[in-house]
This record gives sequence, structure tokens and C-alpha cells, in this order.
Amino acid sequence: MMMALIDEIIYAVLAVYAFGSVLYFRGARTGQKKVFQAAFIMAITGVVLNLLVLIIRTIIAGRLPLSNGAEFLLLFTWITVVFYLILQKKIQYKGAGGLVLLMAALLILAGAVLMKEQFGTAMPLMPALKSPWLCVHVLTAALAYAGFALAAGLALWCVWGKSQAIGNSIIYSIVASGFAMLSLSIVFGAIWAEQAWGTYWSWDPKETWALVTWIIYALYLHLHKKMESQERQASIMVIAGFVFVLFTFFGVNYLLPGLHSYGVVLNNLNLFG
Amino acid sequence: MTAGLNRLSRERQHFFSERDYMDSMKKIYHFISTMKTGLMLLVLLGLAAAMGRVIFPDSFSHAILFKMLLLLLLINMTCCTINRIIWFKSVFIYKRRKGFLKQFGILLLHAGIVLIMIGGVIFSCYGGSEQIQIVKHETKDISHVIKTNQVKPISMHLDDFKIEFNDDGSASQYYSFLTLLEDGQTKEKAVISVNHPLNCGGVKAYQMSFGYKVKVKHINSEGMETEDLFNEGDVLKIPGTERVVKIFRYIPNFDPAHGMTSITMRSDNPRIIFSVYENNNLLGVGAVEFGERVEIDNNVFAVFTGVEPYTVLCVKSDPGLPMVLSGGVMFMLGVCLALLTSHSKKAVRK
Repeated sequence: MMMALIDEIIYAVLAVYAFGSVLYFRGARTGQKKVFQAAFIMAITGVVLNLLVLIIRTIIAGRLPLSNGAEFLLLFTWITVVFYLILQKKIQYKGAGGLVLLMAALLILAGAVLMKEQFGTAMPLMPALKSPWLCVHVLTAALAYAGFALAAGLALWCVWGKSQAIGNSIIYSIVASGFAMLSLSIVFGAIWAEQAWGTYWSWDPKETWALVTWIIYALYLHLHKKMESQERQASIMVIAGFVFVLFTFFGVNYLLPGLHSYGVVLNNLNLFG
Repeated sequence: MTAGLNRLSRERQHFFSERDYMDSMKKIYHFISTMKTGLMLLVLLGLAAAMGRVIFPDSFSHAILFKMLLLLLLINMTCCTINRIIWFKSVFIYKRRKGFLKQFGILLLHAGIVLIMIGGVIFSCYGGSEQIQIVKHETKDISHVIKTNQVKPISMHLDDFKIEFNDDGSASQYYSFLTLLEDGQTKEKAVISVNHPLNCGGVKAYQMSFGYKVKVKHINSEGMETEDLFNEGDVLKIPGTERVVKIFRYIPNFDPAHGMTSITMRSDNPRIIFSVYENNNLLGVGAVEFGERVEIDNNVFAVFTGVEPYTVLCVKSDPGLPMVLSGGVMFMLGVCLALLTSHSKKAVRK
């Protein structure tokens, strides 16, 4: 019953984010204040509904929603939109709202298509996931991914050359915070892996691609000073980084299975999926 | 006079060649220690890891070229860190300027990465890791995994193996009840499970996997009974018949609708799946309960009496681990200080 309700709310979240995106785009084109206000209300509604799904899943499963791809996607999308709304309020910036909400809607859509069975069920935790490190590892990863998503949305808006483009220093600050969270997530994950698998680094597909993503953003942070006069190139690098983030999340889960593929495979008696 | 000039010329030559040598060394050090080289190496490492993961998923990390790349990165990072320490001391030692925390964070995170990499090198030189399989009531020697000056042999005995289940029959936790023996004497008793490894005197053991051996009693045409343990997939040859029995798989919770797949890991409805062959021709396949007597040939029987669990542990000794852990903590602290503190333009390093 509750699980069926989750499905309904997820589609509502998708619709609200998509509609909010359209309103933000329209507001950016016409500059009408009322349209922006309507878009802001839609974004708030989406955030509330998204949070509601996370709360219901927490109640049903009796734990924080951090243990599978669908839960992670819902959390990271929610944080992305929350970050955007904070940014909008803090610096009175409304520019990239259309792109950020569009990304949020696409992420929810991808989850609804690719992870439909995970949205509607709450399985007990498998032994490998029963660790206090799960919470900090996944939370920091979700914060990092959300930061990179927001930065990519703002950078895409800059590359697009739309009015009220945000300064590169704000994108830099968001990427730097996302990078710090990704670094923490990788180290927490390594400490956990050492306890669970006996090795802190095993070149598992997820680890490898997380490292590749980390390297892309490390390059951006090192070269940022040199790219101050080339805002476009810097923005393209931020967008490229987010493409790697998406591949690390979706591509690795579906194309390169490894220790991080937490599926239930009976008769394959390896304890880690 | 000529001899003196020659000597002077030789000394000058020697002096210049020494100076050239020093200049070349300085150039090499400068090249190795620059951020540009470090970034190039990082890009190469990223490319090699991404491509290697796709093309050679199981072996790319052991390739010499890949290890060379990691070693070069370690050298670069070490030189960069040394340069950064020298610069940091010259700028901040006498006066605490703006940007101190940020620059200290950058220094810490680079030093942390260096420590993590050195810890990795120590593990590959002096550490060891191996997966061992121990059947219930069996003892296995693990001395060869621990590359220290350990004189007394160390072994592990599996007292028991248990699985804890959730209500839906899925596994909640796996437990190995172990006795660690030194020179045959009990050193420590421990229970290890996933996420809770054993850590005793430099030896770490992790719960990795498990399985079952099948107990089969076979009765030949003369009525003689023998009982043995078999792995899944083993072939049982019974004296007095040409027919052989392949012990295919143990299914803890059997349902014909699921075929060879167990519904859950809990032994609610256990069966042994077996097949009988004669001259490599399959005669039949069966699923029997424990204790059920199966006639293989005239007066030749097999009885699957039960299963004996075995555990698979990863036994490891890693003398580099404390260094890796310290490096990890430094790295995390450094990242937070460098990237989450406010940006200062005054003490930005050129």
C-alpha cells in the first residue's frame, strides 16, 4: 500500500520538477517576475514531495534511504534542488533554474525506468551493507554528486550564453565543495572496504570510475586559476566532469558490474552480491 | 708549463662536467616535481585505469606499466610535497598570515596522498593476502601469509559456521567461529562476520564467502558402506559399477518451479541435485532429500546424508596499513581545510 503510494508520489515529483523547469525557462526568456515565482513554488513543491518519498521509505525500511541505487538517486536529486533553491535565495539568482530542474526531472525519470523494481520494494540490508560507514560514505557521495550536478547546470547555462550567467568563482566554490565531499566519500569507502573486503582499494569498477571522476575535478581545481580568462573552457570541464559522474553512477551499475553491484544473486555464494 | 696547463684544462673540464651533471639533475628534479608533470601523470593514470578496467578488467592493475605510472606519480607527489613544505615554512614560519589554514590544508592533503601510496608500496613489498577455505572442524596453516620473522607456525581452526537469516529467508549475517592456534596451542578464540574481521597480532581475517561440502554414503554390490565428503561438481565412482554419480549442487530451499536455483539460502526444503552417467552418457537427473537411498545400479546405492559448511576467509597481513590510515586521515583533514575554508588571495602560491 505504502509502496504503491511511493510510485504515485515519484511520478508527481517528476511532473512537478518538469513543469517547474518549463516555468523557469519561460521566466528566463520573458523576465516576468510572476513566472519566476510560480517556478519557485513548483520547485519547493517538488522538494517537499521528494522528501516525502524519502521519509516514507525510511519508515517502511526502518533505516535511512541509502542502500540501493533508487534511494541514492532520490536523495541526490533532492539535495541538488535544495542546493539550487538555497543559491537562488542567497544571491537572488534565477538563471539556471530551468536546467537544474530539468536535470532533476531527467534523473527521476531515469530512475523510474531503470530502477523501477527498487523504487517499489524495501529489501532487508545485505550483510556487507550493515556498517556505520554506509551512512557517511553514501551521504558524502550524495552531497558530492549534488554539488557537481548543480555546478554542471550553472556551467551549462554559462556555455549557453544566457542572460544572468553566474560567475565562475561561484561554480568553482560549488565544485570545490563537491570535490571535498567526493574525497571524503572515497576515503570513508576505502576504510569500509578494508573492514568488509580486506582491501581498501581493489580497482573495482565503481572505485576506478570514482577515481577518474576525482581526477577530472582535481584537474579543474588545479587549472582553474589559469582558466580564469577562459570561462567557457572551465565551464565545459565542469560539464564533462558531471558526464563522468553520471557514468560512474548509471554506466558502472549497469555496464560494469563489480563489488558495488548490490543485487541478490542466490547460489552465487560470494557474500558481496 | 704544458703539463700544468693540461692539468688546469682537465680540472676545468671536470668542474664543468660536474656542473653540467648538477644542472641536468636539477632540471630532472624540476621536471619531476612540477604540478604540470603531476597533472599529466594523473591524466595518464585516469586513462589507463578507465581503459584497463574495460579491456583487461582482471589484470590491468598488476601490469608493469600501470605500476610504473603509480610509482612516477608517487615520486612526483613526494617532490611536490617537499617543495610545498619548503615554501610553506618560508612564508608562514615567522608570521601567521591570511590563508594559513587553506595552505596548510593543501600541504596536508598532498602529504596524505604520499603516505597512502607509500603504505600501498609497503603492502606490495612486505604484506600478503590469501583466500583460504576451511571446512568445519578443519585446521589450516596460515604462516605463509604473514611475511614476518614469525618462528612459530600459526594456523586457524573452524569450530563452526552459521548463517543468521531475515524473516524473508535472505541472509542477515554470516559467522565463522574460529580458534587461532600458535604452534598448535590456542592463542585466541574469535567470531568473525562480514564487516567484523579478526585482528590479532598483525593477522587480519575477513569473512569473504562460504559453501557446502556434501556427505555421501555409498554402498557397493557387496554391501560395503563408505562415507566421504565431496565438493559440488565432484564425481563419485562406486566400486562394482561402471556408473558414476555427479554431485551437482546442494539446494537449501528447493522448489521445482525455480529449477537449480534456491528460493532462499535458509535450508527450509533441502535437496541434493545429482546426475548419473554411464560411459559419459547421461542416464538421469534427480533431486533427493537427505537420507534418501538412491539405487545407482543393481545393489549399488548412494545416500546423501547431509552437508558440512565451509567458510572462505581472506587472511591478510599489511604492515603498511597504519601508514595508509594516517595518510587517509591527513588527506581528509587537508581536503576540508583547503576546500571548505574561505578563499584567501594574499598567500596564494605562485
